[in-house]
Amino acid sequence: MTDPEGHSAAPPADLADLGPTLAEVDSDGALRETAADAFPLTRGELFRQSATAAAAGALGYFGAAWDDAEAAAAKTANDIAILRFDQVLEFLQAGLYTEAERLGALKPETLAWARVVGAHERAHLRAIERLLGPKKVKNPGFNYGNVTSDEQAFLKTAVAFEDLTAALLKWQAPRLDSRAIVAAAVSLHSVETRHAAWIRHLVGLQPATSAFDKPASQHKMAQLIDSTHFLVSQPKTAARKKPPYTG
Amino acid sequence: MDRAADPTQRAKVSSRRHVVCRGSIGAIALAVGVTLGTVRRPSAAAAANPSPAQDRAIFNFALLLEYLQAGFYTEAVKEGALTGEVRDFAEIVSGHERAHVAYLRRALGPHARPRPQFEFGQATRNERAFLKAAVLLENAGVLAYNGQAANLTKPALAAAAEIVSVEGRHAAWVSDLAGEPPAPRAADVGEPSAEVVRKLQSTGFLKTT
Repeated sequence: MTDPEGHSAAPPADLADLGPTLAEVDSDGALRETAADAFPLTRGELFRQSATAAAAGALGYFGAAWDDAEAAAAKTANDIAILRFDQVLEFLQAGLYTEAERLGALKPETLAWARVVGAHERAHLRAIERLLGPKKVKNPGFNYGNVTSDEQAFLKTAVAFEDLTAALLKWQAPRLDSRAIVAAAVSLHSVETRHAAWIRHLVGLQPATSAFDKPASQHKMAQLIDSTHFLVSQPKTAARKKPPYTG
Repeated sequence: MDRAADPTQRAKVSSRRHVVCRGSIGAIALAVGVTLGTVRRPSAAAAANPSPAQDRAIFNFALLLEYLQAGFYTEAVKEGALTGEVRDFAEIVSGHERAHVAYLRRALGPHARPRPQFEFGQATRNERAFLKAAVLLENAGVLAYNGQAANLTKPALAAAAEIVSVEGRHAAWVSDLAGEPPAPRAADVGEPSAEVVRKLQSTGFLKTT
């Protein structure tokens, strides 16, 4: 099995590998109790699986560890709200890039970016859904208009969403209660910064403009989502102008 | 670190495999740290609930990385062997890494570790060797920060997130320049400090005293 770029030799990380990482940071076992629920396999089992499960990881399947993880991790209402916000965002991004890939109207290098990043966002979406279990949200449904087939519109939108998603995850990280979820969230955060730098490089923007990247709130992201008019299931009432997702 | 000495230790302990694996990881981290003289304690393996003291241990670990990166790019720019966008990258990123060093030193105050000695060899004098080393250092930096995120207090995590974000951008940028995939995985799962130290050691850049 190869990842979307055909780099079969590179061992893609699997979110399930968070298990071992957490085991090592946990000195009194308290964290493991949470982690064991979220990532129920032992280190040895994870390592044995990593050859197959990890190869699938880059394509969106996060391994058997997630199959039983649904709703198992102890989570606060605060963490659930953050994860639900992220899930909507992943729905939006995964849908955007997947549709662009399906239509095939963009330049080849843009399509190559959309193919890889789309696979990542779909993988993030599934991982977050499994963490949320029954608390997961339904796909709100999006209409991307011409953004998935117009080169300039797509690039502009992709840069905006990747930069702001990275900033959003930075804002959320210190606001999460569970250390297990912090470890999971930061593993997605740096991938979003890679996506942002990569697409900026593609369009000729400097990939890293500052020594420190500032966070941006969920409210900022809700404003961006609102400005795109991608959401088709907005309330058809006077409340239309209100950001539909405020976490 | 010592489970037996911990009064809050839970009766529900992990499987034997967990304990064995944890023990060996801790031992490796300790051995590598002692050999290198760089890591005072195996921070990932020993990490307990976040505390200011633990923040300092982790920031000092991060400072080692940032010293290494800043020294590497600064020397590469000075050597003048890089061309075109690779040189632009080195110039811009060396500024970022020096800013990270300055931030961590300020945050650590008198606890900041001294600057280690480095020997970069051909990696700062040959563009191909430079790119290879830069990809390794940036990716190692990302996984090092990610591996410690859950061990930091909230304010320290907020600060580290602003730094690792930029390391992730560097990693993608230099990977693209080197013809490697800028985002090779769907998740950058953090690594324990022992693994990061092993990678840094593999470069031969760290001079042990």
